[in-house]
Amino acid sequence: MLPQPKPVVISTALCKAYQIEDTAVDVLKEINLTVNEGQFVAVYGPSGAGKSTLLNMIGGIDKPTTGKITVFDLDLSQQNEDVLADYRCNKVGFVFQNYNLISTLTVAENIAFPMEWKRTPSSEIQKKVTELTKTFGLDYRSCHFPAQLSGGEQQRVAFARALANNPPLLLADEPTGNLDTKNGQRIIQILQALKAEGKTIIISTHDSEIMPLADLKFYLEDGKLAAPNE
Amino acid sequence: MSETAFPVNDLLRRRLQTGLTVVSLTVSVASTLFLLLFAGQIGFGIAASAQDTLTMGTSAVFAQFLTFVGALIFAVGAVIVAFIVFLMMAQRTRDYGLMKATGCPNSLVFGYFMTELLGVTFVGCVLGVIVGFVTDYAIINLGMFQVYNKVPNVWFAPLVFVAYFAFALIFGAKPILDAARMSPIKAISSVQYFGLAKGTALKPLSKTALTVRIATRSLFRRKSATIRIVIFLSVVFLLLTVSIAGGIIANDTTNSWVQKATGTNVLLVADSNMANQYTQLLLTYSGAKADQDFNYSNPALSISDAVLGQIAKTQGVATVDKRLIWSGTIKELGGFMIDPDTLATLPVGDSRQGTSLIVGIDGSNVVSTPFTTGGFLNATSNSQAVVGDSIAQKIYASFGTTVGDPLRESVMIQNSTFQISGICLDPINGGNVTYVPLSRLEAITGLSTPNVLLIKVDSSADYSAVKIRLETELSSVNPSLSIVELNSITTKNSDFLGSLWGVIMFLPAFALASATLCLVSFQMLTIDEQHQEFAVLRATGAKPRTIVSILAVQSLTVLLSSFGVGVSLGTIICILVLTANPVVSSFTLIAISAWLLTTVLGMFLLSLYPAVKFAKKPLLEIMS
Repeated sequence: MLPQPKPVVISTALCKAYQIEDTAVDVLKEINLTVNEGQFVAVYGPSGAGKSTLLNMIGGIDKPTTGKITVFDLDLSQQNEDVLADYRCNKVGFVFQNYNLISTLTVAENIAFPMEWKRTPSSEIQKKVTELTKTFGLDYRSCHFPAQLSGGEQQRVAFARALANNPPLLLADEPTGNLDTKNGQRIIQILQALKAEGKTIIISTHDSEIMPLADLKFYLEDGKLAAPNE
Repeated sequence: MSETAFPVNDLLRRRLQTGLTVVSLTVSVASTLFLLLFAGQIGFGIAASAQDTLTMGTSAVFAQFLTFVGALIFAVGAVIVAFIVFLMMAQRTRDYGLMKATGCPNSLVFGYFMTELLGVTFVGCVLGVIVGFVTDYAIINLGMFQVYNKVPNVWFAPLVFVAYFAFALIFGAKPILDAARMSPIKAISSVQYFGLAKGTALKPLSKTALTVRIATRSLFRRKSATIRIVIFLSVVFLLLTVSIAGGIIANDTTNSWVQKATGTNVLLVADSNMANQYTQLLLTYSGAKADQDFNYSNPALSISDAVLGQIAKTQGVATVDKRLIWSGTIKELGGFMIDPDTLATLPVGDSRQGTSLIVGIDGSNVVSTPFTTGGFLNATSNSQAVVGDSIAQKIYASFGTTVGDPLRESVMIQNSTFQISGICLDPINGGNVTYVPLSRLEAITGLSTPNVLLIKVDSSADYSAVKIRLETELSSVNPSLSIVELNSITTKNSDFLGSLWGVIMFLPAFALASATLCLVSFQMLTIDEQHQEFAVLRATGAKPRTIVSILAVQSLTVLLSSFGVGVSLGTIICILVLTANPVVSSFTLIAISAWLLTTVLGMFLLSLYPAVKFAKKPLLEIMS
């Protein structure tokens, strides 16, 4: 008998609403979602459907208005900021749509800083940064600042940073959204490699080339999640 | 879009920056106007009123301080205004670039932002004038300052308004002009915006702690703003050092002048009328009025040998200083000096004259020696005199082409001539005093007995007990004698000086408030500019306190570099320029350090307020 897959992300009746002046905007409505360990999940749908909000919830960046979200057995809706910070540091790597690199840190330092939150010894940081810059083809850019990189390079730095602490869960928000075909292909190769490693990946995307990689595809529209397509 | 609609909307939508700029301008204008109004009512008023009470030397120290502090406060205000408008306008460089890139002509971009600058400056200056007047009215009506209440000079308002309006326009227009000249591509380039293009000079991974690394690089990224705030805070710390350290040193120094002149543990024995007159003469320093027509030659004031004999027998008496107090006309007798260049003999002084309190003392037996430039009278100074600093400045001062130098001149009392050996700082009669040998004054006046005795109580004896003993023993010899504790007179004079210095030290309080506000503004602008990056740090696992640490390092770096520069310069100015022969004890240094460190700590803690507030925000709110 095959071992039962372990659920990593479980969301139950997850809702998120924002109050903009007098208007309440329901971004997520009753989302029920389970992602198992090692799965590659793609969430797709039109702009404004709530894809980024869903990823923010899973990443512990935002909290639900109602409902529950549990990741690695941790109920994120009930945790204080320090616990969430530890969760973000150790359990999840987040690749933002607009890269979000620290402009005052070099490429190497941008990759290294999440490891500093864990007080990783500097020799290990050095080793890991060298390894990641090589993997992502950034070794000749190590001492450059983000403002000196192209969009594709910045996105690769963002991936390297997300993987610095070797998190079991990777979240990527439209990772190819701002890239040309060539750079998009490089990101897809990276995602393929990560999938092969067995990492749990949840990605929001419009990119039809990423879709074939996904084990599960969720269509999100107007805050509602359709049944998954396998 | 009209030329006024855009700037107005833009300012209203950027409420934080607009508000901070207006508040900082308001505080700067208000602090300068308040200083001028308040100083006009009490500050410079002190110098004017003190001239009749304090000795001229002490008044000069006060006047010098007031002028210096006033000039520094104006400088602080000017630097604040320059800094704030620069910051506001420099932040918009990217916006200018974007507008130009979309086809907006240079002249229109310039017009938009000049309108914004004019609007903000006008509102800030008007509010500043109103706040300045209201604050002055409120403070001058507080109990301790009510004695100085008089109509303020309203002309200071347009003066300050015009000065600051002009400052703001000059310094604010510079970044607008620079941006208008910049090409759109340069203006919107992130390299230009972040100012980071020298990456290869760095090691890929620095060993410095992450918080320190981000903090220092962010400061360097905003190099221009950082340099400006460091310069500005240096001027503020210079002002604070001059006011606090200078005030404490000057207070200690002037107090030591009072104490040296009056002596410690000294009792005054004299006829009750004479004792009262002598007390008033000593208290002239703190505003008392002595009887101008007092007859010092009255034989009833003489102290008999029987009294002296009784005092000599009293236990606890260490020294008896016999003095003959008299009042008369003194005449200047000019002298000569050798011109160092031509070696020619040149005349010094004139033949001016005036009234002085004349004190005959036995130079070999004095209980107190005032601080003296030159030498005080001693056992061998039979033909010498020492004049008070007020006499030196009134009768022996240089005027026109006449060179006055009391130490090269003489004084004539009736027909007796005395070579001036020193100029003393003595509170008695507001420094209008001339000390001569007792025997010579007795010969001049024909009075052969002293009319005042100053008794130094043995340090091992109980000061009050000796006074009571003397009162008991002398009452049988001469019941009209009074015994007065001079320690209490010294305390009164010291308290008066302390209150005057306290007022001067209060004057920079507003400048300090505006400096703190500016530092808080600087921190808020830092947070505003870096909030996205802080959000990323948080999103990747940094705890809120890490963000506070980064901002604390930035604030501390700025504060400590300014503190070092300002305090060093301030100390040099205080010791070398403002106070001659300063009295600096270890306690003085501890007091100054405590005040300055408390100030810098207070500023640091207040500057953390925006950081702590920011760190408490939900992560998503920071990211959006």
